[in-house]
Amino acid sequence: MLERFFSRGFDLARAHKRLVLVFTALVTAGAVLGLAFIRYEGSVDLMLPPDKDVTRSMQFLRDSSLSDKVIISLALTKPERDKKDLFAAVDTLAASLEPPLFAKVTSGVSMADAMDEFSVLQYGPQILNEDELAALDAQINGPSVESKLKQIYLQTFRPESVFTSSLSRTDPLGIKTLLYGKLKALPSSMGYDVVVEEGRFLSRDGRHAMLIVQTTVPMMDATRSKKLVRILDEKIRLLPDYVSADVIGGHFHTVSNEQAIKRDIAVATVVASIGFLLLFLFVFRDVRAFFVILFPLLAVVWAIIVVALIEGTLSYLVIGFGTAIVGISDFGLIVYIAMKRGTDSSQMGKLGKLVFMDAITTIFSFAVLIFSQIRGYQQLAIFSIVCLIICLLFSLFVLPLTLSWKRYALVPDPTIGDRLKKVRWPVKLTLGIWIFLTTVLLILSFSVRFDSDVKKLDGSSPAVFKAEQNFHEVWGGKTNQAILVVTGRNVEEAMEANDRVYHEAVTALGKEEFTSLALFWPSEKSRKENRDRWDRFWKQGRERKLKGLIREKSAAYGFSDRAFAPFFEGLYSRESDASHPGGLIAHLQERFVVNRDGECRIMSFFPDEQRNIEALRALTQRHPGVFIVSGRALSASISSFTIREMYVLAPLAVLFNLVLTWLFFRNWKETLIALVPLLTGVVWLLGIMSFFDMPLNVVNIIAGVIASGVIVDYGLGITYEYRNSLNFGTVMAMTLSAASNVIGAGALLFAGHPALHSTGVAMVICMVAGYLSSVLVVPSFCSLMATSRKEPA
Amino acid sequence: MMILAERCMMMLVTLILCFLAQAGAVFADDKSAAAAQQQNDLSALLNSIGKKVSDFTSLKTEFTQEKEMAMFKQKLVLKGRIYLQKPGKIAWHVDAPVRYSVLITDTLIRQWDEDTNKVQEISLAKNPIFQNVLNQLTVWFSGEYGSLLAINDVRVMQNEPLVLEFVPKEKNMSHKVIKSITITFREDKKYLKQILIREKNGDATAITFINTQLNVPLDDSSFEVKR
Repeated sequence: MLERFFSRGFDLARAHKRLVLVFTALVTAGAVLGLAFIRYEGSVDLMLPPDKDVTRSMQFLRDSSLSDKVIISLALTKPERDKKDLFAAVDTLAASLEPPLFAKVTSGVSMADAMDEFSVLQYGPQILNEDELAALDAQINGPSVESKLKQIYLQTFRPESVFTSSLSRTDPLGIKTLLYGKLKALPSSMGYDVVVEEGRFLSRDGRHAMLIVQTTVPMMDATRSKKLVRILDEKIRLLPDYVSADVIGGHFHTVSNEQAIKRDIAVATVVASIGFLLLFLFVFRDVRAFFVILFPLLAVVWAIIVVALIEGTLSYLVIGFGTAIVGISDFGLIVYIAMKRGTDSSQMGKLGKLVFMDAITTIFSFAVLIFSQIRGYQQLAIFSIVCLIICLLFSLFVLPLTLSWKRYALVPDPTIGDRLKKVRWPVKLTLGIWIFLTTVLLILSFSVRFDSDVKKLDGSSPAVFKAEQNFHEVWGGKTNQAILVVTGRNVEEAMEANDRVYHEAVTALGKEEFTSLALFWPSEKSRKENRDRWDRFWKQGRERKLKGLIREKSAAYGFSDRAFAPFFEGLYSRESDASHPGGLIAHLQERFVVNRDGECRIMSFFPDEQRNIEALRALTQRHPGVFIVSGRALSASISSFTIREMYVLAPLAVLFNLVLTWLFFRNWKETLIALVPLLTGVVWLLGIMSFFDMPLNVVNIIAGVIASGVIVDYGLGITYEYRNSLNFGTVMAMTLSAASNVIGAGALLFAGHPALHSTGVAMVICMVAGYLSSVLVVPSFCSLMATSRKEPA
Repeated sequence: MMILAERCMMMLVTLILCFLAQAGAVFADDKSAAAAQQQNDLSALLNSIGKKVSDFTSLKTEFTQEKEMAMFKQKLVLKGRIYLQKPGKIAWHVDAPVRYSVLITDTLIRQWDEDTNKVQEISLAKNPIFQNVLNQLTVWFSGEYGSLLAINDVRVMQNEPLVLEFVPKEKNMSHKVIKSITITFREDKKYLKQILIREKNGDATAITFINTQLNVPLDDSSFEVKR
């Protein structure tokens, strides 16, 4: 039935040759124009599993302002220039970064306001807790007060006392030491090693200034990121020649990755096309062989449009794999060689059946990915299947029409490929070597590594990484930080929850390891409790007692009667309990608090280490709405999810191939022989990667699946040809197909983008192993088991 | 001939500027131009003075510090020595009424006092606020005044000897505490004669430099804190 369908279809296409060719040309032209209107995605998000933790973490990072920020480090490049010049450049650049792309530019904080905000009598009552007041209580006695007064006296001999002596008048007990314990974590809470001078962020060497720019562009928005990066570049070019800039931000990775992938795809396409052309023209010496290359390319263009219509957007990574698929669809090659060997329309049915079975096995290899829960894998499956169906239709019904020209008919060559087929290798030796190598590589394959670190697939340019390196050398902040997120319906609710969580987190990790807003600025409820406690503390006789002790002990050091009057007069007269708008506390809140979609989230930071994550995991289970965002945990989730998926998908792929091949041969012996290249390709890929200590990752696993979908054809075609003693030139077709596939995938070895490079490596290993086993091992098995059965071609 | 012509032109320009400055009440724009000119002149003056004063690699001076503070019944008078080695090393030794020494470098503070007889070391990296205060102090001592115009209103109070008054602007961290800082230069303008710091609460500190020697070799003992 299949044979009749293909035979009739071919006759119909030939009868309406002009219509078919014009239709193909018009649709292709439309598709090419349509490429400009497709929405492409450059991020690897699509390739991440829909695991609850992974999705929540990624969603959080997208929603938080963390990923929308750009940070600019300006450096003085000429020694004769000073801070004044640097600050002038900072101010000019900050003023030039305007909406709509740039929402807010922060170049520093007002330290004058900070002195008010963090003064002993303003900040202390709000922040000191019960334990700290108890510590203070222990100092209100004769010896301690005498010691404190002596310290204040001695302090006046120090150089800094020129500016700080009078501050002691509001702090006879040295309460600032208690506050300092909290405030010393302030610089690290900023995330960077900064000092503030003249209200601006300055590096310790005084030669760099920092601007924190809140943009309106989400990091994942490739189109607007490009615009943002371009405008920023333009603004930075306007800086004076004595100032250089290092800019860091996720947008630069997005843009750079997109550029790298586009460049690599272009290079791979050119290299592959040149390789194919040389190969085909050298072997066939016929310009019509060009159509064998052309139609898979057209199929990719058509498939991009079809899949974009189905999916809405299309990932660059998926298209990147599509370029490899161009190289692997060998249907056109089989048809071309068969026609070159003189296959006429009466044999088109059989040829159609063989090509169809080739296509079906490949399609089912990709169809397995539809069962994956990862959206990128599903999109890849749909894209590949659409691409292969279009390619199959082109190969069977359009390609033959382009091979027979009116004035230049196809010159038949009935012996093409015969020499290749007649090559015979010693059966036992071939099988012995194959069994030995496959066994060794099988053993090695059990120790192959899986690298779940998605960051290693970041193909940003060296300039992006260099800017980050420069930045971290100046400003620190290189240690990877994980985030503990506490949620609430509003800021106060979230801050109250954050206070509760903070105490447990500090117990689990220690104060040094955990940076939280609760340390510097707890919730209004906690601050009010602290203020009330402070007032009670002093009113319960301690104020009177301290006044008496000071009066008694101060005479020895020459203190005046009103030396500490500002302290006692300010004990209960706090100006305001709120932070200064634009002050340091407000600035800190911006770093720690995220408001999105009617929900408030408060972030706390801690080193992204396994022991810390494990220590806090129990806490997240006790408090609803509390979760951890960690690069390390993200990697672990991706890793375990991918492994779980492979446990399901790999047996499914084997089952599909087994069933389809059996349906084709209806014979277990031939079915198993036909699957030898598939087994070889997979085992050798894992074994060789293990031998060279190359890890598997989320991308090259897919490349392996694609390649195995191709090599299953090799086994099928060659077993079929040997079994039926056909003369379609399958060995020749397979050899050329493998050569072209290796050129196509090999072109990706030149790719600078790590994801595409690792794809190339996996595909080349898998396809070379598959091809060698199909031309050496499969015929050996066939001859050993005498599968040949005479059947007219 | 050319130089004479340039001088005449300069005088003419100055006269015109003076005229315009007097007519400022009528011509507001011209007034702001004059203010800008004045700012430029001050900037040039500070840069030139700063260049002169900071033109040394090492410094050795005695000092007297007089503090009038509401905190104390009587004026506090300190006597001591300062050693400064560029880049970034200052030793401050107080000899009376108590003995106290501190060494300040780019990265740390090391101090000693006779009462405890202990040397204490503090990392500046962990004390950004302290570092900020010391940075300001270093600017005043080292004479690098070029950058001060941006954060202070500066006034020339007297020309011979040169006396400048710095009033912190609102954006200056010292604005909340310091009312003014008055610097009196030596006749040769090569270093400072006195720094007078007036605080907003009425306290005042005057540091007078005596026997100042520039570019003299300083041995390591000058920077030893323990005595």
